Amino acid sequence: MDGDELVRDYLGRLEAASWPMPPDRRAELAGEVREHIETALAEAGRRDDVTVRNVLERLGRPEEIVATEADAEPALPPWSRGPGGPATSAAGWGALEVAAILLLTVGAILLPLIGPAIGLVLVWLSTRWTTREKTIATVIVVVIFVLPFLGLFALALRV
Amino acid sequence: MDIDLVRLLIPFAGIGAAIFLIVVLVRRRR
Repeated sequence: MDGDELVRDYLGRLEAASWPMPPDRRAELAGEVREHIETALAEAGRRDDVTVRNVLERLGRPEEIVATEADAEPALPPWSRGPGGPATSAAGWGALEVAAILLLTVGAILLPLIGPAIGLVLVWLSTRWTTREKTIATVIVVVIFVLPFLGLFALALRV
Repeated sequence: MDIDLVRLLIPFAGIGAAIFLIVVLVRRRR
């Protein structure tokens, strides 16, 4: 993973961790952190993965940054409001995530190719999974899709 | 492996990914 990928992954994790926050605050936080990273990298004068890792380590884990933000603004986090909090349901899932999961499961049975494909598009549109998690989900779908066809191909070669 | 078996396996691709994504969200909530 090169430096830019590390930064993208870090910002993805920050975005995923900050989903309970109001959208404008999330965008602001992501902007602040991105700016901080860019400033630190500009000062270091290099963007190799070792330098990027050092900068990100100094920043701390994205989850810790979000927790610190939540402590600083106690009125914000919906998880502290208990039942009936406005931003999240009991399970903490948005309509996009529920639709994505339904398309990947029920959709895969009803519409074998189109269902999971649309489900994956919704997964990539969601902000509650990191880029890494979205990539893993996509790889799972592609690999399990391809395996049976490889089996058929191998059989066809043998005949 | 015939074409019916392939059709049977295809839904598991989406289901596998869905299980992974659900586990990620549930673990993050804790």
